[in-house]
Amino acid sequence: MVAFVVVSHSAKLADGVIDLAKMSAPEVPMFPAGGLEDGSYGTSFEKISRAIEQASGSDGVIVLTDLGSAVMTTEMVLESLDLSNVRMAEGPIVEAAVTGTVLSASGAALDEIMEELEHL
Amino acid sequence: MISFTYTLKDPMGLHVRPAGLLAKEVRKYKSKITITAKGQTVEAMRLIAVMRLGTKAGDTVVFSVEGEDEAAAAAALQSFLEGSGA
Repeated sequence: MVAFVVVSHSAKLADGVIDLAKMSAPEVPMFPAGGLEDGSYGTSFEKISRAIEQASGSDGVIVLTDLGSAVMTTEMVLESLDLSNVRMAEGPIVEAAVTGTVLSASGAALDEIMEELEHL
Repeated sequence: MISFTYTLKDPMGLHVRPAGLLAKEVRKYKSKITITAKGQTVEAMRLIAVMRLGTKAGDTVVFSVEGEDEAAAAAALQSFLEGSGA
């Protein structure tokens, strides 16, 4: 099952997006990476890397991000990890999380979900 | 093509939970399954679009099922709807 990492400047936002997605796809692995180590706002390279490592599995990982620098930090992490089946999805984080996790729960593969998320 | 109507019971209509579960259910079938509410038709598997229909309890929606497994899909969809309390 494709797993998800939710990256946000805010820990609350990352957790909230996961809570919402769990309403319709509780069986899908989802890992938050919100805020900085000290709880302040920002995106943390270590938090994102740890979350991706936790999420990593044979079916792949989709990383969702909220705003600007969340994308940049995530890109740096993806370059450093150099994992083939970890992708970052663009687009609205809540819609992408809810749609992506339902697709994963119904057995859709990594590429199929990424394709679907581009239509949001 | 098989069409049937369904009157929603859930006060919040097809919100994130039922819309998500509906999307999971319809994806099990090859048939094209659409839902029409308030004059708008969307694919039942696109849960964001389904949620945007803004349905609520008492609204009657029309499901249309078309494809090689339409009979099985329509039957399963009806029992899913009854069972989900949507």
